[in-house]
Amino acid sequence: MARQFQRGHKARISDLTAGTDLYVGVQISGPGLTFDISCFGLDADERLSDDRYFVFYNQPKSPEEAIQLLGPQAGDTESFRVTLDRVPPQIHKLSFTATLDGAGQMSQVGPGYLRIVAGGEEVARYAFDGSEFSTERAVMLGDLYRKDGWRFAAVGQGFDGGLEALLRNFGGEVLEEEQEAAPQQPGSSSAPGFAPPAQPSPPPAQSFAPPAQPSPPSPPPAFGVPSAPAPASPPAPAPAPTPVPEPAPQGFAPPQGSTPPPAPVPSPQVHAAPTVVAPMTPPGGTAPPPPPAPAPYGQVPAQAPPPPPGYAQPAAPHAPAPPPGYGQPTPPPGYGQQPSYGHQVPGPPAAHGVAQTVPQGAPQAPGVAAALQKYREAPTGQRWTLQNSKLVRVDLGIGGRPVLARQGSMVLYQGKVDFAYKGAGFAGRIVGNATGQEMQLMRCTGQGQVFLAENSAHLHPVELQGDALCVSAENVLAFDESLQYEVRRIEGHGIPGGALFTMQFQGTGTLVVKTHGMPVVLPVTPTTFVDSNAVVAWSAAAQVIVSSQVRMRRNAYPGHTGEGVNLQFRAAPGNFVVVQPYEV
Amino acid sequence: MTQQLAGYVPAPVTARMENHGSHMLKVALQTGHDLLARVGSMVAYEGFIQYEPNPPAVRQIARDWLTGEGAPLMKCSGDGLLYLADYGADVVVINLNGDAISVNATNLLAFDAHLTWGVERVKGLAKFAGQGLWNTKISGQGWVALTSRGEPIVVDCGGGEDETYVDPDALVAWSPNLKVKGKRSFKAQSLIGRGSGEAFQIAFSGQGIVVVQPSEDSTDRIRFRG
Repeated sequence: MARQFQRGHKARISDLTAGTDLYVGVQISGPGLTFDISCFGLDADERLSDDRYFVFYNQPKSPEEAIQLLGPQAGDTESFRVTLDRVPPQIHKLSFTATLDGAGQMSQVGPGYLRIVAGGEEVARYAFDGSEFSTERAVMLGDLYRKDGWRFAAVGQGFDGGLEALLRNFGGEVLEEEQEAAPQQPGSSSAPGFAPPAQPSPPPAQSFAPPAQPSPPSPPPAFGVPSAPAPASPPAPAPAPTPVPEPAPQGFAPPQGSTPPPAPVPSPQVHAAPTVVAPMTPPGGTAPPPPPAPAPYGQVPAQAPPPPPGYAQPAAPHAPAPPPGYGQPTPPPGYGQQPSYGHQVPGPPAAHGVAQTVPQGAPQAPGVAAALQKYREAPTGQRWTLQNSKLVRVDLGIGGRPVLARQGSMVLYQGKVDFAYKGAGFAGRIVGNATGQEMQLMRCTGQGQVFLAENSAHLHPVELQGDALCVSAENVLAFDESLQYEVRRIEGHGIPGGALFTMQFQGTGTLVVKTHGMPVVLPVTPTTFVDSNAVVAWSAAAQVIVSSQVRMRRNAYPGHTGEGVNLQFRAAPGNFVVVQPYEV
Repeated sequence: MTQQLAGYVPAPVTARMENHGSHMLKVALQTGHDLLARVGSMVAYEGFIQYEPNPPAVRQIARDWLTGEGAPLMKCSGDGLLYLADYGADVVVINLNGDAISVNATNLLAFDAHLTWGVERVKGLAKFAGQGLWNTKISGQGWVALTSRGEPIVVDCGGGEDETYVDPDALVAWSPNLKVKGKRSFKAQSLIGRGSGEAFQIAFSGQGIVVVQPSEDSTDRIRFRG
C-alpha cells in the first residue's frame, strides 16, 4: 500500500521499496491554472550548479538520463522517471516543484498529490490541497535527497515569486552560466528571438535558455561550414516558426508563460515500449483494478526495468492497476493510443519536441569513454535486467538457477558460464513436427552475467508469479528453468506448417518474450481476432486450461484477401492478447 | 504537412559529426578535412562534395581487407553537409580526442581521413575462418562513426581474472589495449550437431570496454548490395 505522507514527513527510499528505478508522478490542477512542473538536481549546497540537471519541459532529461520527464499520464499532470543509482554523485537532492504559469495563486489549487511508484506499485503519496498555501506562485512539493542513501521528504513549501524566485533560490550558478553563455549569443544574431532583451528580468529568462541547448559548451571551431553555429541551437523554433502561439517573443522563457503546456511529450517514437497498452487499466490510473487482472502482461511496461527482487509480492501480478509503467509514455487508457497520437500530430508542439530530441547534439565531451557513456551497462543487482529495449542481461549468480535460452542468442558473457545443448521432450516434439522449424534451446549454468539478444527484436521480461502465459514458440527468447512449460499445438487448416506451436509457461520466474516492433496488448472481447502469424502471447488465466479458453476458428474469406487464418480468442474479461506489428 | 515534417529538419551544425536521429549521421565537410566513409553509405548531401572510391592511399593501408578487392571505403572531400546511413542501423558518433578504438570492419561507417588507422586480422583468431574477423584500429584527434544493429551496450572488462566473452557476430568495437583471443566452447557433443549454438567466442581480458550490438546479424549490407 502506498504510504501516506504529510508535509514534513521523511522516509528512506529503501524502506519504501527495494528498487531504485522510481516513477514520480505529480498531480496538481486548479480552475483556469496551468502549471510547469520541473525537477531541480541540486548539489550538496542546494545549488543548481549544473543546469543540465534542471529537468523541465524544455529539457526533458538529464545528460545520463537518470532523470527523465515522461509527460502527463495515468492521471498525473506530469511524471518523471528517476533512476537513483544513475544519478551522478555530485547531485545530492532532486527537488520537485510546480510553478504557476500565468495568473493565479497557489491557494486556488484543488487537491493534488506527489506520488512515487516503484516496481509497478505506488509506494509513497504526499497529498496536498490549496488550503495549505496562500498567494504563492510556486511550490516545492517534495525532495529526493541523499543522506545515508536516498530519502524522500514531503516538503510542500510555497514560494512567492514563482519560477524566477525558485531559480534564484537555487541558482547562484545559473546566473554565472548565463554570463558565460551571453558572449556567445551576440555572435549569432539568430538567437535573440528567444531571449527577448526586453524582458524585465533577463537573468532567469536567459539562464533558462541554456539548458535547452546541448550542453557541450564549445561548438568546435574548425568546422564552421554552415552559418554561425548558433550557440543556442534551440533547434525547435527554427523549423517551426509558425506555430508559436501569440506570446511569441517569449517563446522559451517560461516564467511568463507562453508554454505550450506539456510540450515535450518525450519524443514518442524514441521510446522503449510505449504502445503496450495495459489491457484493463482504467484511465484513472489509481483506481482499483478491474476483475482478475491480466497479470503478467499488463505489467510488462511496468517491468521494463524489472522490479527489484525483494518485491516478490504475490499480490502484485493481480495488479493494482499497473501504474503508469516506466518508459511507457502513453497513458494507459484502455484502447487509448489515441491520446498519444493526439500528441504527435498537432504540428507545433510535436514538431518542436521532435526537433529537440532527434538531433542529439554532439557527444558531451571528447573521448571514446564520453561518447559511449550513454550506452553503459546498467548497474547490476537483479537477476534479469533490461539493458535497453533490445538487450537483456541475466545474472546467473542471483537465484542460482539455470536459464534456458534460444540457441545463439548469447551476445556476450562474463564469468564462468557453461552453455549446453538442451535436448528435451518438448524440443523434440517441436522438431518432430512438420513445421521444419526447430525450437532449440541451450541451458546456461554457472556464475556470471549473460547478455541475450536476437536480431534487434524488442524484449519484454515478464515476471510470472504463479500465473500462466501462452507464448508463440518463436517469440520465446529465454526463461528461468524454474518455470514449467508445455508445448501446445493449435492445429488448423491454413496455418503455415499445419499448426501453431505455443508454449504455456507456468510457475514463478521470469520469461523473456521477444517481438518485432512494439507490440499491442488487446483485451479479449467476444470479437477479438488475431492473425496467427502476428500473435505473440496470450494470457492463460491461472488455473484455466488454454484449450478451453482459446478457440481457433477458421475464417475463410473467399478471394484470398491474404488474411486467411485468424485466431479468435474467447475468454472471461481480463484476459488479453499480445500482437506484434510483424507477420512472421 | 510541412509543419509535421518540420521537426525533421536538420539542427544547426555544432560539430564535425553529429547524429540526425539515431540512425543517420551528419558530417560537416570542409576542404582540407577529408572523410573516409563506407562505399555506398551516402544517403544525401548538400554542397560540393566529391567521392573517390578506393583511393590509392587507402588501398595501401587496407590492401588485405576481406577478399583483397580493396577497401570498401571512399574518400569524400569538398564543402558541404554529408548524410550517411547503413540500412537503418544505429549510428554512434565518437570524438576520439587522442583515444584509440578497434572497430569491426562491418561496423565502421566513417572517420576522418587524417586519423591514424590500420587494418589487421584479430590476433589469435587467424585460424578461425568463417567471415574472418577484421578490425580497424583508429586513433588520433578526430571523429569516428560506428554502426550498430540496435542500440549497443558498452561493457567494462573489469580487468580482473574473469574474461569477457563475446559472440563474434555481435561484436562492434573494443579498446585496442585489451587482450583478445578466440575461445571454442563446444564440447564433444557439439561436434555431432548438437551444439549450444554458441560454439565460438572471442575472449577479452584487461582494462577497457567492449561494445556489443543486440543482434547477431553481422551481414555487411552495404557490401553485398551488389
